[in-house]
Amino acid sequence: MAHGRARKNLEDEYSQFDQIDGRHPLQKALPEMVVSYRVRERKGARIAYFNFHLAKEMGLLPADQDEVMTPALEKKLLETFSIIIINEFDEMNGRKFPEKEIKPHRYMATRYLQLQHPNKTGKTSGDGRSVWNGQFKGKGGKVWDLSSCGSGATCLSPATAIQGKFFESGDPSISYGCGYSELDEGFSTAFFSEIMHRNGYSTERALLVLDYGGKIGLTVRVHPNLLRPSHFFAWLKQSDQKALEKLVDQWVFQQVKNKVFVNLPKTKAGQYKLCLDWLTDRFARTSARFEDDYIFCWLDWDGDNILMDGGIIDYGSIRQFGLFHSEYRYDDVERYSTTIVEQKQKAKYLVQTFAQMFDYLKTSQKKNIKEFSSHSSMTKFDEIFEEQKDINLLEKIGFNQKHTELLLTKYRSDVYEFRKVFAYFETAKSSEGLIEVADGVNRNAIFCMRDILRELPQLLLARGVNARLDADEFIEIIRSSYANDDDVKLTPTMKSKITQFQDLYLKLVELVGKTSTVLLTITMRSSVINKYDRVTGDAVTTVVDKVMNARPKLSANDMYDVLREFTEFQNLDPDLIQKRDHNKKSNRERLMKTMVKIVREYREGL
Amino acid sequence: MKLVFHGGGHAEDNKALNLEALRMCKDNDPVITYIPACSIDSEGDFLEFAKSFQDIGVGRFLYFPIDVPFDQTMLMQVLKSNMIHLSGGNTFYFLNTMRKAKLMPRLKEFVRSGGVLTGLSAGGIMMTPDISSAGYPEFDCDVNDEHMKDFRALKLVNFEFFPHYRNSKRYEQELISQSKLIDYPIYAVPDGNGIVVESENTKFIGKCFCFYKGKKIVIGR
Repeated sequence: MAHGRARKNLEDEYSQFDQIDGRHPLQKALPEMVVSYRVRERKGARIAYFNFHLAKEMGLLPADQDEVMTPALEKKLLETFSIIIINEFDEMNGRKFPEKEIKPHRYMATRYLQLQHPNKTGKTSGDGRSVWNGQFKGKGGKVWDLSSCGSGATCLSPATAIQGKFFESGDPSISYGCGYSELDEGFSTAFFSEIMHRNGYSTERALLVLDYGGKIGLTVRVHPNLLRPSHFFAWLKQSDQKALEKLVDQWVFQQVKNKVFVNLPKTKAGQYKLCLDWLTDRFARTSARFEDDYIFCWLDWDGDNILMDGGIIDYGSIRQFGLFHSEYRYDDVERYSTTIVEQKQKAKYLVQTFAQMFDYLKTSQKKNIKEFSSHSSMTKFDEIFEEQKDINLLEKIGFNQKHTELLLTKYRSDVYEFRKVFAYFETAKSSEGLIEVADGVNRNAIFCMRDILRELPQLLLARGVNARLDADEFIEIIRSSYANDDDVKLTPTMKSKITQFQDLYLKLVELVGKTSTVLLTITMRSSVINKYDRVTGDAVTTVVDKVMNARPKLSANDMYDVLREFTEFQNLDPDLIQKRDHNKKSNRERLMKTMVKIVREYREGL
Repeated sequence: MKLVFHGGGHAEDNKALNLEALRMCKDNDPVITYIPACSIDSEGDFLEFAKSFQDIGVGRFLYFPIDVPFDQTMLMQVLKSNMIHLSGGNTFYFLNTMRKAKLMPRLKEFVRSGGVLTGLSAGGIMMTPDISSAGYPEFDCDVNDEHMKDFRALKLVNFEFFPHYRNSKRYEQELISQSKLIDYPIYAVPDGNGIVVESENTKFIGKCFCFYKGKKIVIGR
C-alpha cells in the first residue's frame, strides 16, 4: 500500500507537465497561421541541462522541490519534450512509426515574416526547425508559451522555400534546413538568456536542453508570450485583415491573462490605442537599453529577432559588447547587419509598422507605411527613447532611484549636458579605421566607460570632492587595450573634455545631495554595476566551448549549478547582491575560475 | 606598526575589531581600502565591509581587486589610504596574486609608514611569516590550486595565525602537533575574535588560543 501511495505521489508531483501536449489556443483561433504536425517520441536523448529555477517560477515544479535530477523527473522530461515531427518528407515517403510512439495531439509550426526568405510576405516562412510544445497555465493563472528548437525540418525553413522540396529531418546535406539544432546553441541560449533575465531584460529562456549525441541537441524555450512582430506583419503584408484581427485579439487576450494589460478598454479602437502606446514604449525603451548596454540585436523591418514586448529571442545573432563598438557589422554572407546605433531606427520603423497595422485594423484601409512617418507614435518613440537614455546613464553612474527621479524631473538639461561629454569618450574610435573581425567588420572603440564610472567616485571621495583627476590619470583609467598612443594623445580638446566630464559629473552629484554622501552611495553601487568582469558575446561562445569540453564529466545537475553560479557572477544589480557563504566549497570551482578567466580575456571585445 | 587580525565571521561579528582599527587610524575622516583575496563575486563582500564601517562613521572607501589589471593612479591612491583591509578567501590564490601584482614590498612600506593593515582569515595569514597554516588541518584547509611551494608571506609579525578556530579535540591535536614544528607561536582565533598589534603591544580581542612547542594556552577573554 505504502509503496503504491508513494508512486502516486511521485506521479502527482510532475503532473503539471501533462498540460504540455502540443495544444495551443492559436491552433483553433487562427489555423491559417500554423502548420500542424503529428509528433513522435524521439529516442536517445539525455538531459544536458534543466532549469529548475524557471520550472519553479512557472509552477511546473513545486517551490520546495529539491533541485536535483531524479530518474522520475528525467523520465517525465523526456516523455514530455523529447519529440520529433513527422514531416512532409516522412509522409511522402510513407514512413511508418509505431502508433504508441505518436503523441495524441498535433504540434504547430507558426508562420511569420523573415527577410532572408525569398517570399517577403510570410507565406512560406516561419518556424523552420521548431514546433511549439503548447501553452502552460501556471502560478496565479500566468500562461507561458513553450517551443522546441531542433524538433525536425518543417516546410517553413528557408531551405524548402529556396530549393522547392521537403527535407528529411537531420539531412546531413544541408545544415540550417535540416531541422536539428546543435547542443552548443542550446547552451549559449541558456547561459546568455539567464544573464539577460538576471539583469532585467525580457527574454526567451531555456527550460531544457537535450543531448542526442554527435553534438545534436534540442532546446525548449519559454516566455509568457512567444509571438514576434513578424507574426503580425505577415498578415499585414498579405493584407489579410481578418487573420490579423484574430491574431491581435489572441495576443491581447494573453496579455490580459498575464496581467500585462489591466483595465482593457471596451472598444476595439481603445484597445488598439493601448496596444500601440504599449508597443511604442517597449520598443523605445528596449532599443535605448540595447544601445547603452552595448547589446547587438539584429533588428530589421521583418520584426523577426525580437518578441512583441521587446524581449530577446534567438541568441544566434545576439552579442553583448565590452565597449561601445558602434560600427560593428555582422557579415551574413548576403548582407551586412545593422550596427548597434542603427537599431534605434529599426525599432522605430517597427513601431511605424505597428501604427500602420492598427490603423489598418481600425479603418480597414491599408495605407502606405510612409504615411505613418510623422505619426504621433514616432514623436512619442523619440521622447521615450531619450528619456530612457538619460535613465540608463544615471543608473550606470550609480545614482539610486530617488536620485535618478530627482535629476530627471528637475535637472534634465544637466543630465543631457553630461550625456554629451560622456558620448564624446564613449564613441571615440581607433585611428586604425575599419578592420575585419572574425565574423564581420568593426572600428574599435578605445575607451572603457565602465572603468572610469567605477573608479572616479572612489578617487574623488578619497582625494576630496574639490580635487580632480589629472588628464593623464583620467586617460590611464579609461584607456582600453584597443587604443594606441595616438588615439589618446592629450590634445587641448581632449583635456578640456576631461575637465568638462569631471565638472559635469560632480555637478550632477551635488544636485542630489551632500556630495560626500552621494559619492559614497555611487561608489558602492557602481562597484557592482560597472564590475570589471562583464560578459561579452565572444566570452559566452568561448565559455560554452569550455563547458562542451568538460561535458562528459558534467551531469545535468552540475550544468544547472555551473550556470546558476555563472549567472550570479554576472549580476550587475547592486540591489540584488546576496551575502556569500565563504565556507561553501564548490567542486566546480576550477571550471568557474576558467570561465571567469575567459570573461576577463574578452571583456573589451565583441 | 598597526595590525589587526580577524579570526573570521561577518561584519556584525567584527565590530569591536573594526573600532580598534579605526582608533589606530587617528584620522576623523579616514580612507579605507578593501583588497579582496579573489575578485570573483567580491563586490558583495566589499559592500558588506563598507556598510559595517559606514555604521561607525567612515565614508571614504577604495575597492582594489589585485587579480585583475589595475592602474597606477588607483594604486597610488590605495597606498595613501589610512587603512588597508585584506579580505578572506583562498590564501594560496591571494599570496600568488599579491606576488604577481608586486604588492608585497609596497604593503610592507605602507605598514612601516604608519598605515593600518587589517586582515580577515586569509588576509590575516598573509601578514605572518608564511602561509603554512592555510594548509592544515586536512579536513579544513585551503586548496593549493596554484601549486605554490614558496609560502613566504609579509612577515610583519613573528607568529602564525590560525583563523576560524573551533575549540575541539581534532583542531587541538592538529595545532599541537603543528606547533612542535616551528619556533614561534601559533595564535588560533575563532570567528569574531582577533588580535591587535600596535607597535610592540599585542592585544587579544575575545577568547584566543596560543599553541607553542606542543602546548595550548588560553588567552584573551
